[in-house]
Amino acid sequence: MSVVTAARTAERRSWGPTWYGLLTGGMVVGLACFIYQFAHGLAVTGLSNTISWGMYIITFMFLVGISAGGLIVAAGAELVGSERFASLQRLAVILSGTAILAAAISILPDLGRPQFVWRMIRQPHWTSPLIWDVIIITVYLAIAGIDLYILTRPNRRPGLLRKVAFVALPAAVLVHSITAWIFGLLVARPFWNTALLAPLFISSALVSGLGLLIVTTFVVQRVTGWEPGRTVYDDLGKLMVWFIAADGFLLFAEILTTYASRVPDHLKQLNVLLFGRLAPVFWAEVAIGVVVPFAICASGLRRRRGWVVAAGALAMLGVFAKRINIVMTSMFVPLVGLAPGIPNGRPGQGFAPDPIYIPTWVELGILVGLASFFGLLVTLGVRQLVVPGQAGDAAVA
Amino acid sequence: MPEDTKVSPIEALPEASREYGAIGEVSDEPRWGMAIDTERCIGCWSCAVICKSENDIPLGMWWNRILTKGDDLDTPTVGEFGGLEMSWVPLACQHCDDPPCMKVCPTSATFVDVEHGRLVEVNQEDCIGCRYCMAACPYGVRVFNWGEPEYPVEGFDLGMVEPRPIGSVEKCTMCLHRLIEGQVPSCVWSCPAQARIFGDLDDPDGELVRAIEERGGTQLLEEKGTKPKVYYLEPRRRRSL
Repeated sequence: MSVVTAARTAERRSWGPTWYGLLTGGMVVGLACFIYQFAHGLAVTGLSNTISWGMYIITFMFLVGISAGGLIVAAGAELVGSERFASLQRLAVILSGTAILAAAISILPDLGRPQFVWRMIRQPHWTSPLIWDVIIITVYLAIAGIDLYILTRPNRRPGLLRKVAFVALPAAVLVHSITAWIFGLLVARPFWNTALLAPLFISSALVSGLGLLIVTTFVVQRVTGWEPGRTVYDDLGKLMVWFIAADGFLLFAEILTTYASRVPDHLKQLNVLLFGRLAPVFWAEVAIGVVVPFAICASGLRRRRGWVVAAGALAMLGVFAKRINIVMTSMFVPLVGLAPGIPNGRPGQGFAPDPIYIPTWVELGILVGLASFFGLLVTLGVRQLVVPGQAGDAAVA
Repeated sequence: MPEDTKVSPIEALPEASREYGAIGEVSDEPRWGMAIDTERCIGCWSCAVICKSENDIPLGMWWNRILTKGDDLDTPTVGEFGGLEMSWVPLACQHCDDPPCMKVCPTSATFVDVEHGRLVEVNQEDCIGCRYCMAACPYGVRVFNWGEPEYPVEGFDLGMVEPRPIGSVEKCTMCLHRLIEGQVPSCVWSCPAQARIFGDLDDPDGELVRAIEERGGTQLLEEKGTKPKVYYLEPRRRRSL
């Protein structure tokens, strides 16, 4: 071991406990907030009878979305017989599995009576897309587990992963579609009630999932010295060009259709997004989530690692903004909007003709907990299965 | 009378009041519905207030409320010929025949009560508080127990309706507890302008169906295909201010 490496290892060693400490602390904060919320009810959130879904559902959508990258990169590469991303397969599947697990957990704090969540299994109502989602998320999680098991066998049979991929890809398409249909099948919410919602969820999922994979690959490489392969960022960047192009195209097609056909209910909600209260978030979404990462990945900048990583991070952020917009646009404008509006739901707060939603520290605390849980599982997975035995391994621990 | 014995307010009513609120003869399989005559409605909120008391609705919530047509609560709209007009849309659960809330409920907590006039009811016991029904309802009439339910005066509940637990969704039941005792819903009984007509939508000779046919009753957001069992009768004459 050279002096330099030894020095770097020592430097890493000092970061390991801090990282685990941070994640554990975050999880403690999240759990404490959840207990506090359980004791006092959802009154401690910023939600109301008008805006009855908020950060928890937004995070759920986002987590389901980022779970796409992994399985699709792993399974897609397998199906087209590409060896390009072989080095990334394990990392990709760990990210997918962890994200979908975190997504399933993120539903619990949204429930008013989480202690009765098992009733969904005891007495499922089959017409509810929520029940379909429970099933497909379970299947998806199982596939991630099977994939990971196959990928970590010392002498794995060639072609086995390919067989799983034939199930994994349709499952991946379904998990995003069904999550979209939770929203898209509602006649009460014109902005969601479009056949394009499922394709849009798939494209956004691909963008954010790939973004997560790029960023995580970079972080793991920097921290552990793991070598994912020389052309990996260039290749992922190329993929990103197509994903963002598809996502941007679908978004444009949806907005153009609504704007040109001017169905009153639908247009009213769209106007909030384009020109109203949500406009800053929407145009930020377009700029940082579509224009900038597309420009980076479609140009020569793609060959520079730092730029691709930046594009991946921005694309992920853009998709998060998009999730906020999708939920809020429909919630802000109830169909029957006459005065005095919908009762807020808390004593002394009256009615809400023009509702707003600001997440409280409890909601943010629970999100911190979820993110920490996600980070911890990914860190442990990476340490065990992606970079075991490397010099940096002991250091991270 | 011992203090802890609760007498049903309906039993406690004088004979004449009970007669006034009686549904009368009903078929074996009624389809309960309502018509609201917006020509008669004076926007007084009496029905909304008695609803709160009848059903022990916690503070901050309303199952039934009176919306004002136009831009704001106290702002008349400008009608034809420059005249000012004011009218109201009393709004509670529409008890749809094709209820979007029921379809999305993951535990069947919201269901169509085929034994009681095909009303849309909620069994809070089964509710997990996901609020999917609130997202699915086009009318925004469902309310959620965000915190521990609070009441204006402790111990002043009528106790006719089970209290709903924290974290569950509730809404208008069409006063199911009264229907079972042969009485019309509270909002119908209490309306000082007699703007509400309650009855069986499958009874072609009943007052309800006749009123809807004569007046050309409309359903709220009919184009959404939810088939509400609440009809609105539009004013026949202008109500100028």
